[in-house]
Parts: sequence; structure tokens; C-alpha cells
Amino acid sequence: MSRTIAIHSSKGGTGKTSLALNLAGSYVSSGKKVCLMDMDSKGPSLHSFFNVTPNNYFNEYLRGAISIHETLTNIDLDRSGQKGELYVAFSDPEIGAIREFSTMDRKWQTKILKRLINAKKDLEGLGIDIIILDTSPGVEFGSVNAVAVSDFVLVTVKPNKICIQSIEQVINGIYRMLGKECAIIENMCPESKDHYCSLSNTNLEVPILESILCRCDISTLVCKEIITLQRPEHPYSKSVFRIRDKLDSHLNLD
Amino acid sequence: MCDTAKIELILKNLDEINEKLDKIIENNNHNHNHNNNDISEKEDDHGHTLDVMTLLTLPEHLRTTATALFELGTATADSVAEITKKERAVESNYLNQLVRMGHVKKQRLGRKVYFLVDDK
Ligand SMILES: Nc1ncnc2c1ncn2[C@@H]1O[C@H](COP(=O)(O)OP(=O)(O)OP(=O)(O)O)[C@@H](O)[C@H]1O
Ligand SMILES: [Mg+2]
Repeated sequence: MSRTIAIHSSKGGTGKTSLALNLAGSYVSSGKKVCLMDMDSKGPSLHSFFNVTPNNYFNEYLRGAISIHETLTNIDLDRSGQKGELYVAFSDPEIGAIREFSTMDRKWQTKILKRLINAKKDLEGLGIDIIILDTSPGVEFGSVNAVAVSDFVLVTVKPNKICIQSIEQVINGIYRMLGKECAIIENMCPESKDHYCSLSNTNLEVPILESILCRCDISTLVCKEIITLQRPEHPYSKSVFRIRDKLDSHLNLD
Repeated sequence: MCDTAKIELILKNLDEINEKLDKIIENNNHNHNHNNNDISEKEDDHGHTLDVMTLLTLPEHLRTTATALFELGTATADSVAEITKKERAVESNYLNQLVRMGHVKKQRLGRKVYFLVDDK
């Protein structure tokens, strides 16, 4: 059975896309067939990380024009002898497409939700083990649809007051309402715990899976490579591997 | 009569009772809509949609029913009840409520009644 993980946050720039890429890498390195989907159709970003031109964008599937397997780009990971595979469904970065998808009405959103549910079933049929959904921040159709079709929500938070205050709303007002299990990833934490307002001091009844340190080299490396595949010994990779292992027990994968 | 034949007869009768219940509920709803201006069950500002934001505004029991229906696509009250683990008659009632609210469409195909989330 395949599992779907949505990566979401209430505020922007918390490290969702970086985590989505590297979590995907961590599952590939454990031999899984992974599908990474750019659900951020208002601010697509996955295309900038791979040097490929997809045959079709995910937008075409959402429009009902093609089937889901036609939107998948198999990423050549240059890792001979390894079993894992990575497929990416790219969102169209053209401004015209972004405008179009930003102004769709509610009827269309109902259709999209149905198509996403079907996509999940089809991907399972194609032998995909793990589906990772990179979403846009905050509460809008694209990200809430992604949450609705997920089996688990990873919510990334920067340990500052603004992020922490808004997280409770999405947990209680979105994830819980849709019956989703969720967990928090604290990202970009300062080296010293004394200098930031950690979530462990709040009384949210949601597990904190990991606190990832803030390091300049992470932002440089994220742009160049999938760190979990290229540098499994890097502290960021180790954090992501721990997240994967903890997720496995939540998702009953081990 | 042997046991299997008895069971089959009972199942057939149950099926018929279910169908009659459906019709009663349907008729009730018709009368209800004519006689009673129950605003809470009328469509809201969003008209006939059941997008995810509307889903979030539904009371929990209807949200559960609607979520199950999304998963199933087109489904009978029986199969929705199987997912939600509630009584079939209860689900049938909720589904018909969603029909009245304009979120769900109902189709009769032969002897069976099917529901689906309206996106037209
Ligand atoms: N632990 C970290 N330490 C330092 N920099 C990080 C860390 N995690 C992510 N970054 C950097 O922070 C920036 C924002 O990250 P990213 O794009 O992944 O966030 P996002 O949540 O996807 O943003 P958006 O909400 O815009 O989609 C990037 O430049 C990324 O490289
Ligand atoms: Mg992003």
C-alpha cells in the first residue's frame, strides 16, 4: 500500500520544499519508489531543482487532459545498483499557468480534489510506495486539497513567535477537522536552545519529530543536490533520516 | 427450506425494506422542502459545491459522510456506511441531507440509489 505525506506550513519559507526533496531522497536511499509532487501551483519550485524538461506538467492532469503516469518524470539519479526510484510531477512555472490556477472557482476545486484522490489510487497501481506532496504555505485551496488527500501531514515551523502562533490554527482548524495525523518539524533552529522559542514549550498535542539546525551550507547545498543522496553523513541528512524513520512507525511502514 | 435459502430470503427482504426506506426519506424530503423553509438546510452562499473549504464548514457527521463519498466516487448508502461504520439508514439520511444542501447528486440506477459529489 502506498502512503501519502503532505508537507505544509502556516507561513512561507519554512523549508517545505527542501524537506520534500530530501525526504524523497531518504526514501529512495531506502529502496522505495517515490513520487514527489509539486502541489504549489501558485508558486511552483521543484522545476528549479532538476535539470529536466518534463513531457507534461501536473497541471494537465488536474485539467483532466491526461493520465497521471504521463505527468511523471523519472529522475536519473546516477546511482547504479540501487533499488530506489524517484518520479517527479512538476507544476507549470509559466506565469500564464500560475495565473490560471490561481483564479479557479470552487467547482473546479471540487473536481481537483476528486482527481487528486484518483491520482493517489493510480500511483498506488503503478507501484509507487511513497507520495510526497510539496504544498504552498497557509490556508488556500491547493494546500488544503493536498492535506485532504494525505495520510500524514508534516508541518514545518521556524521557531519564532509568528510561526508558532499560527500553527495551532492549521492543526486544529484544518488537519484535525480533516481527520489527519500530523507532526511538527522545527526548522532553522539556532545552535543554542536558549536563544529561541521552541515548540516544546507549548502545549500542542502534536509530536515534534525533529529540530533541524539552521546552517548556511544547507541553503547552498539544497540548490545543488539532494543532500540525503549525495551526503548521507551531513547533519541535515541525518535529521531527515531520523524524520523518515519516525514517520515509518507512524505510517506503519516498518 | 435450507439455511442458505432462508438467509437469501432474509437478505432479499432487507434489500426491499432498504429501498422502501429510501423512498420514504425521499418523499419526506420533498414535503419537507415544500412546507418548511428550513434555512439551515438550504444551500449557502457557495451554491452547489463541495470543495474542501466547504467540507471544513460542515458539521462533523456530514463531513465524515462527504469524505467517504469523495473516497468512493459514486456510491450507495451501503458502501458509505461500510467506510464510516455507521448504520445504513443513518448514512442514507446524511447523504440525502447533503443532496438537499446541493452538495451531492443522487441517481437511481435500476433498483439502487447512487450518490456522488456534485461538480457540474
Ligand atoms: N535548516 C536550514 N538551514 C538553513 N537554510 C535552510 C534550512 N532549511 C531550508 N533552508 C533554506 O531556506 C530557504 C527556504 O526554504 P524552502 O524553499 O525549502 O522553504 P518553503 O517552505 O518551501 O518556502 P515557500 O513557502 O516559499 O514554498 C531556502 O533558501 C532553503 O535553502
Ligand atoms: Mg516551497
